[in-house]
Amino acid sequence: MTHKLLKLLAPVSLLLAGCQPDLPASADGLLYCSEGNPESFNPQLVTSGTTLDMTAAQLYDRLIDYDEDEHRFRPALAERWRASPDGLRYTFFLRSDVTFHETDYFVPSRNFNAQDVVFSFNRWLDTEHPFFAVSGGIYPFFSATGLNQLITRVEAIGPHQVEIELKEPDSSFLATLASDFAVILSAEYAQQELQAGTPELIDVRPIGTGPFKFGHFRRDVAVRLERHKDYWQGQAQTEQLVFRITPSDHKRMLMLLTRDCDVSPYPPARDIAWLEAREDITLQQATSPNTAFWAFNTEREPFDDPRVRQALAHAIDREALLRTVYFGHATMADSILPATSWAHTPMSDAFHYDPERARELLAEAGLPDGFTMSLWALPVQRAYNPNARVMAELMQSNLADVGVNATIVSYEWSTFRRHLAAGLHDSVLIGWSADHADPDNFFRPLLTCAAKESGSNRAQWCNPQFDELVQAAIRTTDTEERMAYYALAQTLLAEQVPLLPLAHSQRFQATLNHVQGIKPPAYGGIRLYPAYRLQQSPETKDAL
Amino acid sequence: MSRVILRQLSLLIITLILLSVLSFSLTYGFPGDPVTNSSGISAEHPTYEQVRETRGFDRSIPVQYVRYVQHLARGDWGVSLQDAQPVWEEFRLRFPATLELTFLSMGLALLLGPPLGIIAAMNYKRPIDHAITALSLSGYSIPVFWFAQLSILIFAVVLEWFPIAGQINPLLDVPPVTGAILIDLFYADASIRGVAFQSAIQHLILPVLVLALVPLVLLIRLTRNAMIDVNRKKFMKGAYARGLSTTEVMMTHGIPNAMQPVTRQIGTAFSILMTNTLITEVIFSWPGLGNWLVRSIYERDYPVIQGGLVLLATLILLFNIFISLIHAWRYPQVRQEIYAQS
Repeated sequence: MTHKLLKLLAPVSLLLAGCQPDLPASADGLLYCSEGNPESFNPQLVTSGTTLDMTAAQLYDRLIDYDEDEHRFRPALAERWRASPDGLRYTFFLRSDVTFHETDYFVPSRNFNAQDVVFSFNRWLDTEHPFFAVSGGIYPFFSATGLNQLITRVEAIGPHQVEIELKEPDSSFLATLASDFAVILSAEYAQQELQAGTPELIDVRPIGTGPFKFGHFRRDVAVRLERHKDYWQGQAQTEQLVFRITPSDHKRMLMLLTRDCDVSPYPPARDIAWLEAREDITLQQATSPNTAFWAFNTEREPFDDPRVRQALAHAIDREALLRTVYFGHATMADSILPATSWAHTPMSDAFHYDPERARELLAEAGLPDGFTMSLWALPVQRAYNPNARVMAELMQSNLADVGVNATIVSYEWSTFRRHLAAGLHDSVLIGWSADHADPDNFFRPLLTCAAKESGSNRAQWCNPQFDELVQAAIRTTDTEERMAYYALAQTLLAEQVPLLPLAHSQRFQATLNHVQGIKPPAYGGIRLYPAYRLQQSPETKDAL
Repeated sequence: MSRVILRQLSLLIITLILLSVLSFSLTYGFPGDPVTNSSGISAEHPTYEQVRETRGFDRSIPVQYVRYVQHLARGDWGVSLQDAQPVWEEFRLRFPATLELTFLSMGLALLLGPPLGIIAAMNYKRPIDHAITALSLSGYSIPVFWFAQLSILIFAVVLEWFPIAGQINPLLDVPPVTGAILIDLFYADASIRGVAFQSAIQHLILPVLVLALVPLVLLIRLTRNAMIDVNRKKFMKGAYARGLSTTEVMMTHGIPNAMQPVTRQIGTAFSILMTNTLITEVIFSWPGLGNWLVRSIYERDYPVIQGGLVLLATLILLFNIFISLIHAWRYPQVRQEIYAQS
């Protein structure tokens, strides 16, 4: 019977194998399986890594870039730059050969110039700017890093020269300019949409100078980008770039195996060893500076009491989390700052696992019988946390041991972020991946009063003493001095525990062998511009 | 027959009214602000007051209900709480995708089920019958989600015959016009139409097979049992005695009589199929109604849940009434039963 069936199926299988359709040249491209929908197509408006992956390095360019290998800044849209001796004025000399995307909704009449830079900065700097309030008027990265307070003036002093004036010297200024958020938009396109009465479209149908231009977005299905033929660094090798929206990590891995994806970020941690063993898949990793943490909403009772927060920190067995959630592909976090940073000061005593101590602290805080709280688990996989759901379940049982009853809450990613920014949570499992190399990136965007205003302070924590320390650290360029300030800031965090650092993990990315040239980024979003496809004959395809 | 049609029509209207009442009551049944639940406009939104007024929330419940039905009829189904997009616009693209999947599966089940059942019945208690019965019984006992995962594992991961997500290879630029991929192909660029068709068919095979399984085995079992019953009837023996060939007996007496109870059950098979569509769409990332509805339930996106329920229930209802009409039209004794009751 089975023999007959096989015979019957044989011609069918031939037919099917034969018709894995060879795509026509116009349909050449790269399939990148993404973890969620983009919130916007303008990186200025977001902080989520998913959106950055799809937009920042693909659609846009920045004035300068950061070279991860050589640890220095390199020219991008600005050919060169100069800082005044007092560190208060920066002059950028811009390229003149850069073109904006030409699409069916916008045809640029001129090349990139200083007006575009002034527009892109003033959009989020100047609250009176016609585009400031378009798309909500919230620029989380810039307000959290205080860049909108730092820059006093952006002016075009020539067609291809821009001067930026700062309120005070800032040692992280260039690093923030090289981050994924400081993209350059088209002033001409903005003007066109403003006249048409649809200014909000500039963030929905983007125009930039990047290697790819916007094609089409269908929610829950895919984002399609097309090659920008006149890209100033030379056109990309792939004709199209499609981000397929696939929230499940398991599904993404299956799709990699069935060739429905070429690249899949964040493979399931439990399958990493197995993927490594496969010959048709390349598994890459980047030690991206990131931290997973558990933030308490310090505005709500009982989390406004530091003793309660300390107690909860001692209640969690982080060793077990590392084993179960990361399968050993992470190190335990002893500070919000990863150990790779020069300013790292470990505070292991403050966070170690000690349920006895946790119960004592709870009793001291007047809660000997425990309480009930919500524990929000982020719904997508991030480099810093491959599976927040499982982590939340483990923590739930840890918390039950000290008498705290936690309920796990989760939403779709964009809803989740909106509710978080509104402070509707008791506590949340989330994390942070560095946008640039400066240690400041782990303090000001995450825990200052300004960050609370902008909605990126997950702990809703505002401590003037802490703000002073990190401000002082940024005002000087002397590394020794900065290190001392950061050590003090980290000590303060260990006492106050607005959040419990959990782990620093590696970012993994699985790629089919025929796609070459890309690597997982250490900072910010992925760059798919260098990707190319190895030409392969049909025989090798069958052999795989 | 006109009485039958009238009867079915009045049934349809009454059920639709009940359905709209139920759906409207969800506006209050869901937790939170009723205005937000039905329109997706939150209290902070500048147009909130205006929406509240046009939907009649400042007036009595019956007025609110009438306004609700008016909005439904106008295609103003509110906006999604997740992304503030109009619910109807999203339905317009997703519903055809779901219809495509369900009708192809139902078609496949109807094409294969009854013939297999007849073959089994004609070989009653012979090896072919045992094989078909065993197959249908095991098919009946496999849960859909498990069968879907199994088929993905075998046909997609191991054999690499089929893709497992979406309607088409997204590198092929087929803009969604109707939402149903086989129709959208005609709007695509002619140069890629051939390849796109191949790709679309490949994407359809697994979900259609998975979905067709349950109605298929149901139809096999029903047809087989009905056919066995008919075969025992005296008129069948009489037909053979009159010297008719087996084909003639089956075509004129056997099959038409056996199909009567089967026809009545097609509606049931369709309802089961619709429930399975939700799961199948999630597993195969099919951009249809089911996939969206499941996520909206998870997200507590009430305007979408409300609209989705109305749409799915109406579809099942219409299909059942259609089948009842066919049934009554095709089989006079059914009409007589109805007349006798009234």
